[in-house]
Amino acid sequence: MSLEISLLGALISLFFILVLSGTLWWMLHPHAFVTQAAAKARQSVLAVKKIMVPTVGLPHTERSVELACRLGRKQMAEIYLIYILEVPRTMPLGVPLSDAEKEAEAALERATQIVLLHNLPMQKLIHRARVAGDDIAKLAKDMEMDMIVLGIQEEAGSHIDPLNKTANAILKIASCEVIIDKLPSS
Amino acid sequence: MQNQPVAVDNPLPPSPNPPSSSTVKPTELRRDVSIWGSFTWGYADVGADVYVALGLVIGAAQGAAPLAFLVAGIVYILVGLAHTELAAAYPVSGGGQYYTLRGLGDFIGLITGAALLLDYTICISLFAVASAGYINFFFPVIQTYSTSIGPFKDVNLIWAAESLSLIGLLALLNIRGIRESSLFNELIGATDMILETIVVLFGFLFAWKPAMVVTQYNTAFPTTEKFFYAVSVAIISYVGLESISQAAQETRRPASIIPRTSIALIIVVLLFALSFPVLALGILPWDTIAKREGDPVAALAHEIPYIGFLAGHVAAILGATIVLISANTGVMGASRLTYSMGEFQLVSPWFNAVHKKYHTPVRSIIFFCGIAAIQAIFAFLSGKGAMDMLVNMYAFGATLAYLLVFVAFIALRNKDPHAPRPYKVPLNIRAFGMELPVLAIIGLIATGGMLGIVLWTHPLGRIAGPGWVIFWMIAYCLYRKKNKLPLLGNIKRDWEKDHIAILTSAEEFEYLEQYKMALEKKAVTRG
Repeated sequence: MSLEISLLGALISLFFILVLSGTLWWMLHPHAFVTQAAAKARQSVLAVKKIMVPTVGLPHTERSVELACRLGRKQMAEIYLIYILEVPRTMPLGVPLSDAEKEAEAALERATQIVLLHNLPMQKLIHRARVAGDDIAKLAKDMEMDMIVLGIQEEAGSHIDPLNKTANAILKIASCEVIIDKLPSS
Repeated sequence: MQNQPVAVDNPLPPSPNPPSSSTVKPTELRRDVSIWGSFTWGYADVGADVYVALGLVIGAAQGAAPLAFLVAGIVYILVGLAHTELAAAYPVSGGGQYYTLRGLGDFIGLITGAALLLDYTICISLFAVASAGYINFFFPVIQTYSTSIGPFKDVNLIWAAESLSLIGLLALLNIRGIRESSLFNELIGATDMILETIVVLFGFLFAWKPAMVVTQYNTAFPTTEKFFYAVSVAIISYVGLESISQAAQETRRPASIIPRTSIALIIVVLLFALSFPVLALGILPWDTIAKREGDPVAALAHEIPYIGFLAGHVAAILGATIVLISANTGVMGASRLTYSMGEFQLVSPWFNAVHKKYHTPVRSIIFFCGIAAIQAIFAFLSGKGAMDMLVNMYAFGATLAYLLVFVAFIALRNKDPHAPRPYKVPLNIRAFGMELPVLAIIGLIATGGMLGIVLWTHPLGRIAGPGWVIFWMIAYCLYRKKNKLPLLGNIKRDWEKDHIAILTSAEEFEYLEQYKMALEKKAVTRG
């Protein structure tokens, strides 16, 4: 018996078997079973749609921006970058603080670059307050945040991180979920 | 109360009093269908389509048969995607009837249910008869036997008895429980798929001539009416997807598994449905295949080197098995659908009785297998014309049901946006304050056109099909009137509570939590 194999026929056969086997393999490998408790935990994190991240422009607060972005990436959470300008009670809130504002804008700009790398929606805000912690907690409530992610660093030597006292205030007052990312003193 | 979940291991104690129409508490169907089982419920219809419809479609579409399958296939993809989304979002046993009930109300749900019941009973009878026909390949004496009974001439009593025996066997198998019949489907489905794949691969590699396909397309293009008739016959493979939906309430983790089995089925269906006509027209003249309406695959396989010498036997075994599991899919679909309709008080709860030992809807199985047996008897008494009638009504039921499902699909996207959709049909736009699924709208237009084609090209379908639906509408009105239930209105139902119960029962906890959170958010939004 002489056989003629057409090139097109061979290609169709190859296509047929590849598509068939690939389809069946994909079908037979669904994701693993999830218990109700695990599902509840997963969904409660996926429900976090608005994350506030206070920053002061230091490396550990920028790291907290990255952490917040990773927490919110799957559900495309909106990231709210906030820089609190603490104004001493000896001065009016509206006092010109051009150098501090420039520093705040620069800090928010760096944080913005991190958020943009994750393609997440974002907003940024510079806000003046007497006490940062109280103000962050109040803003979070007013803006209906689901979570606050705050980076702090252990106090070491002469350098004092202003967010440490802020962290205490937020933990006491905030009505939403709070994640404190505390780095050891380097 | 609808869809009250009850663990199978802890069934409800038998009620001392017969349940009233409003207090039916059905025992839940067992979740025994695996991924492969879910897939093969649908695949059964696909394989049967090739064995039963290939000759018919080529006979009508001639050289344009691949095009006819392609046109039907495009509509089929749209139907398939819509069913994938709906079956995953609403993993209950009603399928299209449940979606239309939930999206469009009780009366439309009844019409859809009636159309699907028509298809399932014909599925049982048509494919049981065809299976017996393939078995008779090994007994040529039976093929040629005929007798006269009164005014009925050329009646093949032995073939009829074989067909009725097969229907009885399938009824028993399904009464025993879904585990047994699912295993049956799984084994035969796997075997058949392997054998069909061998035919396709060997055919394309060693016997197929592309020039012959082109020549036949150019020289044997059918008339418009014949072409559309062929398209409407090719459409019968749609019912495969509905079967997956029907098994949803018995499928393990349905919301996760059904999108996969359903999409896999769409792809596999298209592969086989397009491969066979292209292969056939590249090996044999169209009229040769048309003359072998009863065993076109055997005629095709006979021409293939290496396996040709076994062609008759292989094709006969393949045909007998695949059409038998298709008939089995019909038994499953009809009984599960009636179970769902009974729960929702669209038909009498008499159908809801579940077998004490096997937890299967025994009355539905017996009732619809009985109807299928009557259809088969009429088929044998009427000769070839009766088989045409079965195909006509089959196409009518499928296109009517899918048309209504598309309307329900669009309605549910807007009425029930909070239900988690593990799979969502792509291409959606927002306009006029609504979500408009573009593909579903195209599917609605396409199935509407298909229904028009069926009514145009199937004279019996346009009489017998609507007649069947009207029969169920009358039964519905009588039942609802007797029980003082709204005739055209809807019974009040707590869909959200039901949906939570469905997802809990299905152990789809991720989607359950998603749904609960969406409901909480909705409650907060509404204050």
